[in-house]
Amino acid sequence: MGFNTSSIQEKVQPVVNAIQNNVYLKAVTSGLTTALPALIVGSMSTLLANIPINAYQEFIVSAGIKPFLALPLTLTTELISLYAVFFIAYNLTKNFDKDGAIAGLLSLVSFLFITPLMQESGPAGITTYIPTQWLGAQGLFVAIIIGLVVGRLYCFILDKKWTIKMPDGVPPTVSQAFAGLIPGFIILTIFILVKALFQATSYGSLHQLIYSSLQVPLQGLGGTLGALIIFMLVAHLLWVFGIHGMLVTFSLMMPLYVPLDNANLVAYGAGQPLPNIIGLAFVVAYILIGGSGATLGINILMAFRAKSQRYKILGRLALPGGVCGINEPIIFGTPVVLNPILAIPFILTPIVNAIIAYTATVLNFVPRLPGVGLPLGVPVIVSGFLQGSVRIVALQIVLIFIGIFIYYPFFVMLDKKAHKEETDTGQGTTGQSAA
Amino acid sequence: MKKITLICAGGFSTSMLVTKMNEAAAKLGVEVEIRAIAEGKFKQYADETDILLLGPQVGFMLGKFKGEYEPKGMVVRVIDSIDYGMMNGEKVLKNALEL
Repeated sequence: MGFNTSSIQEKVQPVVNAIQNNVYLKAVTSGLTTALPALIVGSMSTLLANIPINAYQEFIVSAGIKPFLALPLTLTTELISLYAVFFIAYNLTKNFDKDGAIAGLLSLVSFLFITPLMQESGPAGITTYIPTQWLGAQGLFVAIIIGLVVGRLYCFILDKKWTIKMPDGVPPTVSQAFAGLIPGFIILTIFILVKALFQATSYGSLHQLIYSSLQVPLQGLGGTLGALIIFMLVAHLLWVFGIHGMLVTFSLMMPLYVPLDNANLVAYGAGQPLPNIIGLAFVVAYILIGGSGATLGINILMAFRAKSQRYKILGRLALPGGVCGINEPIIFGTPVVLNPILAIPFILTPIVNAIIAYTATVLNFVPRLPGVGLPLGVPVIVSGFLQGSVRIVALQIVLIFIGIFIYYPFFVMLDKKAHKEETDTGQGTTGQSAA
Repeated sequence: MKKITLICAGGFSTSMLVTKMNEAAAKLGVEVEIRAIAEGKFKQYADETDILLLGPQVGFMLGKFKGEYEPKGMVVRVIDSIDYGMMNGEKVLKNALEL
């Protein structure tokens, strides 16, 4: 169709590789993803604790269950930075083919070093404690920075071979235990110095500096509708050239959006108003209905309205996956990739979804999403229920219809062409490319 | 027995294709071991892979994987987009094994 796949891909590729194969961005994304199982449990139990049915609420309070349902959130989402800092260093070090566990440990200790420690004297003597203020979403940028710095520093020290060498004959496990010692001394000394340095400044801690001068402005920017539209535009343009665009933009979106979702979830658990509209939950629930390109609309059209065998078969094959947000069959089978006609609705629908959902939230037609982190593959509608409101589900259904509406003229064009080809050649179920 | 590994972003859509490929393998009577994983986790399965197939959406990583694993005797290829989209397990399997 007048497109030269290889030349375009060759031009886009270096940029995509630079982002997607960047070991640091990758370590952040996989570090946060590794912590997900615990975070999901936390958000699910928060949902259970907050189901807005009076009889149910009375029951869980009187039976004494409610505090236990609220506990997982306090110990997962509200401590996310502790888990993130460990796994970011762990994943980064593993990318350099080194022992991730020791790097993870050192970064966790470094993180705790620079976190303010409190002391209070009570009747039982002096109690030392770590306030959770910086261990949750507010400390996440620091966790990312420390995870990366410590992970890299650890690899650097090992590469320089600044380790204690054991004489031959010492069992390998013993020398391994000593291998972490020199990096440990160097790294932890650095962070004690950092702590001392910041205590002398008006910021008091590295946390305060990073939070107010980096995290707040970046999140303010990333949390806007404009930034979201740009993310979606880039991701879907890449898809049109056959590159998994979400995979690429996710590495930038995750560090920005995870804290936004977490702040909402914590407020939700505490029964306070939710601070943010946009986050990962927003993207999953409203924008990527049926997967990238919000293709559930065209998928439904294919499955139930196609005249051509080709699209009827593809639509039915792809529908179960599409409902769960997995749509590679549609993207490559239609194909959407390098197809200038379908590129229009493919790029447009997610952006329209974003604008409608954002507006509907601002106008209070739907509540803000509590930011429940859901595993990939949770079906649309179910994901709406899990965000805790029937109105969210209603908006999802509206968006499915909008998807059908936007894709309809393009679908008719494609289907007509395929149907004509089939009747002309007399063959039914071809897998021939239209491109 | 040939060991085939399919990779994509999350290992979701390739796992759908694996099911179809296993059906095709049973039909054709060829003995293969096929698995699908996320591209980021491939390293730990590299020793158990004779043929590495990339989903077309991660096809842009072909150069990286070829450079790293072809010298070790692994066959590295990108799955044809249309075969991938139509989940044509038989054709993907035949192409991989060069039947």
